[in-house]
Amino acid sequence: MHKRKILLLWILFALPATAKPPVFEIEIRNHLFEPSELIVPANTKIKLIVYNRDKTPEEFESYELNREKVIMGTRKAVVFIGPLKPGNYPFFGEFNPKTAQGTIVAR
Amino acid sequence: MLNRPLLIAGCIIPALLMNMQAFADGAVVDKIYNPYVETLEREIEYRFIVQNDDSDSLDGVQLHRLGLGLSWTDRWFSEVYLIGERTNSDSLSVEAYELETKWQITEQGEFWADWGLLFELEAERDKSIWEYGTTLLTSKEWGRWVTTANLGLIYEWGSDIANEWETTLSVQGRYRLSEAFEPALEFYTGQDTKALGPVFTGLIRTGGRTKLRWEVGLIFGLDTASPDQTFRGLLEFEF
Repeated sequence: MHKRKILLLWILFALPATAKPPVFEIEIRNHLFEPSELIVPANTKIKLIVYNRDKTPEEFESYELNREKVIMGTRKAVVFIGPLKPGNYPFFGEFNPKTAQGTIVAR
Repeated sequence: MLNRPLLIAGCIIPALLMNMQAFADGAVVDKIYNPYVETLEREIEYRFIVQNDDSDSLDGVQLHRLGLGLSWTDRWFSEVYLIGERTNSDSLSVEAYELETKWQITEQGEFWADWGLLFELEAERDKSIWEYGTTLLTSKEWGRWVTTANLGLIYEWGSDIANEWETTLSVQGRYRLSEAFEPALEFYTGQDTKALGPVFTGLIRTGGRTKLRWEVGLIFGLDTASPDQTFRGLLEFEF
């Protein structure tokens, strides 16, 4: 009975802690993603905050990540990604696809 | 944020289940909606169904929809449609107008599943028949598989129809093989319809931010009341 109470208390306190995914940030500046390569933990859901420092909109898009998110000029957007298997996952900015490119590396 | 979708689902699902005995009039096989809205999205959409059946009342029925839609925030998207119908006895003509609005409730990937709601209002052109529907949209990723379900509660009224509640359920399992080509399996249940069949979908980039999405499917009736086959297709030009 005592063990069960401890387990319940552990679940109660552990759940909020495990529910929040680790946060990563990238910026869009002059139609480039900075950093262009982002290393994230494999098999873990992450919260990616994308800051668009340009005045024009840009899109974070990736078929491999199954995500598509427009970030208006001088605004930010949140993209939840994963859990990802180890590997490289390219992404690009649909408004400037020739320059705005990057990779998420899950290790 | 976590409680809001659960609250909505908790309110809507029991109401839908209670009304499961009544099913929707008209064609049940149609596009299956995902719960997502993309900022700055504009689109022209054309979709159709063609039924084949031994029964004269179902055979040769065609429904065509031509829509124009746009997102007006990062969570809300609206589209207006002209709906045309053709049967073996009547040629193609515009029969109804529809306004639909989609609300993306949760951020993609934030919770166990993603949630949205679709609100539809349809008016027949030459008859006093109105239809309002609210559909719960949900999607869940399983690696390269994506499951999407639409659970609809519809009310029809007017002087040319008996007022009634209706329900529909459609489920799609899609494999993300490549951007240009994704196979899927779809299941539908609604008034006089239980149907299952393969669907293929894909996206063609047409330069700049423009894209062409396509879907084709052949859905087979699972009982005698359902159309034997329903061929469905969709072209969506995003710009």
